[in-house]
Amino acid sequence: MMAFRDSVRAWLRANLPADWKHAMLGASEAEHIAFQRQWFCALRDGGYVAPHWPKEWGGAGLSFADQIVLYEELARAGAPRLVLYFISLYHTPATLLAHGTDAQRRRHLPAILSGDEIWCQGFSEPNAGSDLASLRTRAERRGDRYIVNGQKIWSSNAQYARYCLLLARTDPAAPKHKGISYFILDLDQPGVTRKPIRQMTGGAHFCEIFFDDVEIPAENLIGAENDGWTVAQATLSSERGLTILELTERMRIAFDVLCAEANNETPWGGRYIDDAGFRRRLAEIYARLEALRALVSNMLDRVVRGESVGAEPSIIKVYYSELLRDFTALGLRMGGLDAQRIAPVLMGGGYETGNWMHDYLYSWSWTIAGGSNEVQRNIIAERALGLPREAPAAKPRG
Amino acid sequence: MDYALSEEQAALVAAVQGIVRDHGAPPSDARQSFAYFDASLQAALQGGGFLDAARVLGALEAALVVMEAATAPGAAELGASALVAPHLFPSAAPNGPFALIDAAALGKAHRHLPIAKTALITDGGDVLVLDLNGVRIDPVDSVYAYVYGRFAERIDLRALPRIPDAAPLLRQWHRVALAAEMAGAAAQAVAFTVEYVKTRHVFAKPVGAFQAVQHRLVQCHQAALAMRYLTLKAAWAGDAYHAALAACFAQQKASKIVFDLHQFNGAMGITNAHLLHFWTYRLRALQAEAGGVYASAHTVANALWGGAGP
Repeated sequence: MMAFRDSVRAWLRANLPADWKHAMLGASEAEHIAFQRQWFCALRDGGYVAPHWPKEWGGAGLSFADQIVLYEELARAGAPRLVLYFISLYHTPATLLAHGTDAQRRRHLPAILSGDEIWCQGFSEPNAGSDLASLRTRAERRGDRYIVNGQKIWSSNAQYARYCLLLARTDPAAPKHKGISYFILDLDQPGVTRKPIRQMTGGAHFCEIFFDDVEIPAENLIGAENDGWTVAQATLSSERGLTILELTERMRIAFDVLCAEANNETPWGGRYIDDAGFRRRLAEIYARLEALRALVSNMLDRVVRGESVGAEPSIIKVYYSELLRDFTALGLRMGGLDAQRIAPVLMGGGYETGNWMHDYLYSWSWTIAGGSNEVQRNIIAERALGLPREAPAAKPRG
Repeated sequence: MDYALSEEQAALVAAVQGIVRDHGAPPSDARQSFAYFDASLQAALQGGGFLDAARVLGALEAALVVMEAATAPGAAELGASALVAPHLFPSAAPNGPFALIDAAALGKAHRHLPIAKTALITDGGDVLVLDLNGVRIDPVDSVYAYVYGRFAERIDLRALPRIPDAAPLLRQWHRVALAAEMAGAAAQAVAFTVEYVKTRHVFAKPVGAFQAVQHRLVQCHQAALAMRYLTLKAAWAGDAYHAALAACFAQQKASKIVFDLHQFNGAMGITNAHLLHFWTYRLRALQAEAGGVYASAHTVANALWGGAGP
């Protein structure tokens, strides 16, 4: 294990561009895309871009324990996050390897590793977010193809993607979980319209996608027709806690940034780091961060041992997202009015870049994304505490 | 560290759980009281050698014992016997139970003093050892579920045996001990409340079926879980920094847990007939010990960023 850690460290020392943060601070969209691809290819050539993929599909086939080491080291080195390739590296292969055909795997997995094909996810809709199974985008079978009409939303990086993992309703008469199918959809075709959504951070990471009589060849169906809900479970359980591990390590390292800034003078004289109130607040947040690291470590150890992790991913997601908000808020508060200016953003830099205004506003997405914290609490209440589900709302009469 | 229990540790925990089960129903006179010291629980843990786990097995095992024993409704003197004394007296310790006292607060009320056999008194950087045999103690009424007392006579500190430079070690393990007791009490208070909200019905369904209750209860569960892991890590690491970290976390989370759990138990939650207060009021007592979150947070801050702040 230590040998592997050493080899990752040595590789990062030799290959991580020393000036990448300087280059990506306030980078244009084109520069951001180009650098993401450059880093993707560097990791691929080093054998680190797809540590969890089987070797037969070009991955490193690393054990889960070694994957933990890799993500720890990437975080500790302050490496760029491959934000454009997240769906491509996790959700797509997990879905295709579990439920795809051999032809689908052969067509798409090598293309992902080439770095040329970015994927996005088409799950959420304007009226189907937390209640995903209420989705209404229709896919109607006509001969050897499906015709898709409808709308998706909150699709991260769809503006850069070639393919979409699409959930669409194929049997409107079936119970809502039963009439859904799962497709590979080529976004570069007539009838597809992508509209980036401007966020309150100033960025535009996700899109609305509109489908107007869009065609999908029948061979692009993943799994059986109307069995898309089952297939989607493979997508949603694809990364098994490694992302949260990486983000937790990044937050720990970001503490050094916060502490360095805490050596600045306060407006009322003296340094923040010497202010009793500030020190206490900083220490309280640090204690919460250490608790998070313990929770993550325990969960990952259980994955390594092949044990069930129950509701722990939900517990950790809620915990991380709330801590991130408080952590970035502290940075923002310390920066005073000066930190509330609109400043250049570090593209691909994660969630604690030191641009506290941006980091704080961006942190709000974490209590919503990946299953809102309210949905996660429902899961924890049911699975960890054994509490009954709240009854669904009654259907309106008449 | 690996948080999974070894077979030996799991057996130890199961044995303590068995003792706690035997002490799960307080006698009716204790039920109505604020403080409930369970002498039988104390004797079972002490007589069974469980409070010696730190010497025989290690500090991690001792923390597990304290956590599990703290799930009992009755209080016993756990932390000082199981975690503090073994580190101060690696070979032969004075007789427990112990009261932990700061010389600067000698005249105030102290937890466990009426049932303690020995007081360990921090005096600057040193620790003084006071044999309580024959020392007159006045009991002090308190809502804090533990028994409290104060000295009814003047104590001459100069005459006491002194362990030089031992105060930091006492403070360190005192923090691990209180974090362990808080983790156990919090977990049990959550479990007690979960059972209550499953069985208590309002508007034709269990209270626990309402998301308004579930979500806050989940937060309490999360906090109790995190308390446990940080406590285990502190016991395993065996340094002042991790001890302060565990205490800082537990002490900052306690208020919210106590408030929410009483809220979910409704009117029953504010009666003495309900058992909940035995755990929650122990949480409140421990929240304020060893300088409270103020001191534990500053100990963490000093370790991380230097300085000798408050």
